[in-house]
Amino acid sequence: MNRVHDFARRSGIWLAMIGLIILFVLASIPPSMLAAGPRLLQSFDVSSSAPRAVEPTTALAIQRDYVHAWQSLASALEENRSDLLGEDFIGGAQQQWQEAIRAQQQNGLSRRIVDHGHHVRVSFYSPDGSSLEALDTADLEIEYREGSRVLSTEHVQAHYMVLFTPAENSWKVRILQELPPS
Amino acid sequence: MNTLRRGFVLGVFCAASAFCTAQLRISVPVAAGAEVTLQAPGSGNTTLYLFGPGGASKRSVQRGAIKLSSDELKTAGHYTAILDGSSTSFFVIAASLDNVSFLAHPSRVPTNTGSAVTGTAFLFDRFHNLVLTPTPVSFRLALEETSGEERRVTSRDGVAWVQLNSGRRSGPARFTASSGDLEVRRVVQQVAADPCSIRMKAGHAPDGNILVETDPIRDCSGNAVPDGTIVTFTSVDEAGRSTVDARIKRGFARAELPPSHSATLTVAAGVVLGNEIHWGGGER
Repeated sequence: MNRVHDFARRSGIWLAMIGLIILFVLASIPPSMLAAGPRLLQSFDVSSSAPRAVEPTTALAIQRDYVHAWQSLASALEENRSDLLGEDFIGGAQQQWQEAIRAQQQNGLSRRIVDHGHHVRVSFYSPDGSSLEALDTADLEIEYREGSRVLSTEHVQAHYMVLFTPAENSWKVRILQELPPS
Repeated sequence: MNTLRRGFVLGVFCAASAFCTAQLRISVPVAAGAEVTLQAPGSGNTTLYLFGPGGASKRSVQRGAIKLSSDELKTAGHYTAILDGSSTSFFVIAASLDNVSFLAHPSRVPTNTGSAVTGTAFLFDRFHNLVLTPTPVSFRLALEETSGEERRVTSRDGVAWVQLNSGRRSGPARFTASSGDLEVRRVVQQVAADPCSIRMKAGHAPDGNILVETDPIRDCSGNAVPDGTIVTFTSVDEAGRSTVDARIKRGFARAELPPSHSATLTVAAGVVLGNEIHWGGGER
């Protein structure tokens, strides 16, 4: 009887320890990653691409890179780290968000984006394959912060015009321009 | 109404007290680089936070007319102003067209080829925002002193593109994209297409070899095929096959093939096959 009781007690201790480890691991994941979720890209429509059709491999590469770009942007704006943008952004888009991060840093501000997903529709793919434009409808929750204090939160259905250009082994976002609701 | 058109009215209705709740009203989108005045009724100081796609600021302001400078609003997109715990969002849209970014492809193109030249124009304002309002853009591809080919298209989502045929004559063609007073020029080198036909003649070289030489090599539009293009001469006789690659120089290609009493001589450039000569037995 004592042995059964001892076994139950030991099992309980082990379960508690495993639980603590899981909690610790979850706590160490950046909030932006948790917020990102597994299905950031809810749809990716290439049927209206002109003048060139988007090849399936290109479509897959852009989906992969665009999801990564949003994850990087969310992390960069939350942690005020412009170095996170380099892998996914280039040109005007990179410069614009770098400036935003620099300004946030100077003023002790940050913003946290909880990304609920994107619906992307490709509208233009240049004949020479050097640029691709898409319209993204994104469902975002944005938290504006000063230090750890939340100044304001908003939930937006945002429309972005996105211009991609191919880099060595990925597609980079050259323009990410939000449009007024039509 | 004019004020509305010029860009921005942000009304903050709140009592001038510590407990005021600001209610913010937004007008039409603001053009990038415009100055904007935000109305915050009441008196005393407060803190204004402004988050945008190209910046974020925090500053102490006096209630009343709060000016947002053109520098703060130069990037198109969604802005959020926070004042007294209340927030409002408004949009900045691209200003007027100021810059055309023009990509031409390819830089060298064979003459007289359909849809061989593509041009893509991206339309930007002076702050490098994409101008999304439909705008007419003219594309023109022409050699000097020729009318060439011109096409007018209207931009969509900030982009205008065209596919043009290359001209019949070789030479540097000016490829321009223009909209309003703006014109951007690229040069597309139109080069002779594949040879239309190759004709060679054969004779005795001083050292006993067979000297083969082509007539001037031209494409089907009469343009000289560029110097440096490889022409392959082949001789087949009972001893086997001999091949010599020669480059076109001043319009001709010439080479020496090994001596033979009876050989079949052929010439080719790329996919174009020229005439065949039976050395020692006459031309076929």
